Amino acid sequence: MELPDFKQTGFVLFAAALILAFFYFVLGFSGMMTVLGIMILFMLPTYLILNNFDLEQDEKIVFSFFIGIGIFPAIAYWLGMLISFRIAIFITFAILIATSFIIKKFKKK
Amino acid sequence: MKINKHYLEALAFIAVYLFTLYLWTLPFQDNNTPYGEFDAISHWELADFIAQRDKTFVSLPPFLDYSYSLNNRFKPHTLWYHPPFHTDMAISSAFAGDRMIPIYLTNAIFATAVFVSVYFVMRKLFGFLPAILSFFLLSASMRDILPYLWGQWPERFGYAFVPLIMYCFYKYWTTYSKESSKPIYLYIMSILLAVNLFIHPLVMFHSIVGVAFLGIGLFIKDRKLSLNFRHILISLLIFALLASIFPYQTGNVIVSFLKDSGSNSVKPSLSRLFEWTPENASPDKFAGSVPAAYFSFKQMHGSWTLPFLILGIIVLLIRREKRDIFLLMWLFSLYLILHRDLIGKPTFIHRSLSASAHIFVPLIVIGALSISSLLPLPKLYKNLLKYGAAALVVILTFNYNIPPAYSTLSQAYDSPFLRPNQAQVEVSEWLQQKLNETENVSIIGPFPDIMKKVWWMASYSHRTSAYFEGFLDWPQYEQNRNETIKYHLLNDYIVFDYTDIGLLQDRSFVDRWIKFEQENMKNHALIYNKNNIRVYKYGAS
Repeated sequence: MELPDFKQTGFVLFAAALILAFFYFVLGFSGMMTVLGIMILFMLPTYLILNNFDLEQDEKIVFSFFIGIGIFPAIAYWLGMLISFRIAIFITFAILIATSFIIKKFKKK
Repeated sequence: MKINKHYLEALAFIAVYLFTLYLWTLPFQDNNTPYGEFDAISHWELADFIAQRDKTFVSLPPFLDYSYSLNNRFKPHTLWYHPPFHTDMAISSAFAGDRMIPIYLTNAIFATAVFVSVYFVMRKLFGFLPAILSFFLLSASMRDILPYLWGQWPERFGYAFVPLIMYCFYKYWTTYSKESSKPIYLYIMSILLAVNLFIHPLVMFHSIVGVAFLGIGLFIKDRKLSLNFRHILISLLIFALLASIFPYQTGNVIVSFLKDSGSNSVKPSLSRLFEWTPENASPDKFAGSVPAAYFSFKQMHGSWTLPFLILGIIVLLIRREKRDIFLLMWLFSLYLILHRDLIGKPTFIHRSLSASAHIFVPLIVIGALSISSLLPLPKLYKNLLKYGAAALVVILTFNYNIPPAYSTLSQAYDSPFLRPNQAQVEVSEWLQQKLNETENVSIIGPFPDIMKKVWWMASYSHRTSAYFEGFLDWPQYEQNRNETIKYHLLNDYIVFDYTDIGLLQDRSFVDRWIKFEQENMKNHALIYNKNNIRVYKYGAS
């Protein structure tokens, strides 16, 4: 997985901070946390998985949201039948992050 | 200092996106109690129940089973929606640690996601200016705002997948050659189709029709089939695998689809082929439930958009590049979906109208921006005219589309009749914490105007409220009112809520209400008495 250069990372962090600050001022702490949750839980793991494939940057970002909101809850839902839903969310996140690294390793071979 | 063009584009996108979400979150910026019609209640409580209980479920809990036991036609008494949509909202609620804002904000983000996917597809196929203008004009789309407010939550989100799924197919087709191809797009298309099924099955059928006709359009254009059957087989397998993750809900989709066949007893006339709005979706058929304005092009899109829309379609029909075929086939697929009653599938046809803006708006923008290319002018003037047309679209949107959108969203569910007040929220939370899931709660006395609040209280407390209808007053209980009360209330929890007494016009109702409490409750245990709300445990006496 290629890390974006410093300038891009800076811009992404700036954009994320801008968005989070906006939601904090408009809807308070829970509004900001909601958006942070969507970015971290739904988008980030799927983005890392898609980053292993030959897709353009904007495609990876957009697809990571639309696939993430389907795949992440599907796993969390079934795990949540067996264990605490909050723990299921955490385990789902770990599973998807691990999957991205496994795919990366598999593709390198 | 030279600023990267892509950063400027990204900042413009973020600005329009935040503006859109500012508009769409207006209904809950100042009032963080839940709102919406019956559909909204069901979506909110499904999500909230998972987050509050810290467990997911297959079989419906009692308070949901009471209203929705037969909604899953394949496996009654189980969840009738595929779980991801509501689980997403439950995840937001659990992560942010709040019951109201995270669910409503996640819904606002989902409902506006279609604007992002339209922006994305337009950016990829037509460039930044048509994309950002489309996004901006869509942000005030009344055809999207109204169903969003009414509570058709998953359907609003489902439409976001249509352009993306078509885009994946388009990319696969246009990058295909016998030597090299990018099947990843086809596989992503399958995953998106499956997620589309999870979110809203009816919209998934729209996506399938869109892809099918895009394929036909591209085949006619290319006069060759740019497909590999092995790739198609793998993508079908991916879809089947994902669809089988939720067998009861996928089974419900199949059973519902088969059972609805031929339900259209009235044969539609062929003249309908020349109309956009379906016959059985005309305003008079929905008087009292859907406002007539919803069926009006003028009131939903603005008359000023019509010439640009027609021009946009003409430009694409003349030019017929592959990207033009994309938009034309998307439009044609919506036309087919809006005429599905001709093949005996009329269910919810009026709701498919709400997808109009998603394809109309890009066509309107293309129409406006194409004017300059139709005139024989020097390049400089053409450019000036193009940016002038873009400015005109922005001005007209600000003038005609934003004001009704703003007033609708800022005044939505403002009335004290429509949302539970703080005391009602408090007692609902108390009921949720103190009572068993299987116990019934009756909320006595609401006059019809505030019925919606009582549904929300039942939802907020996660308890059944079977007899909240106010059997004190309704004529159908006249014959055996005392028996009904006695039979029903036994072992029940009774809530007397006087917090809205100031809103009542009919004072005689209040007197009867108080008299009922005095006469019937004095021998039963008062277990909650706060903010003009009293809760009794009705025991055998």
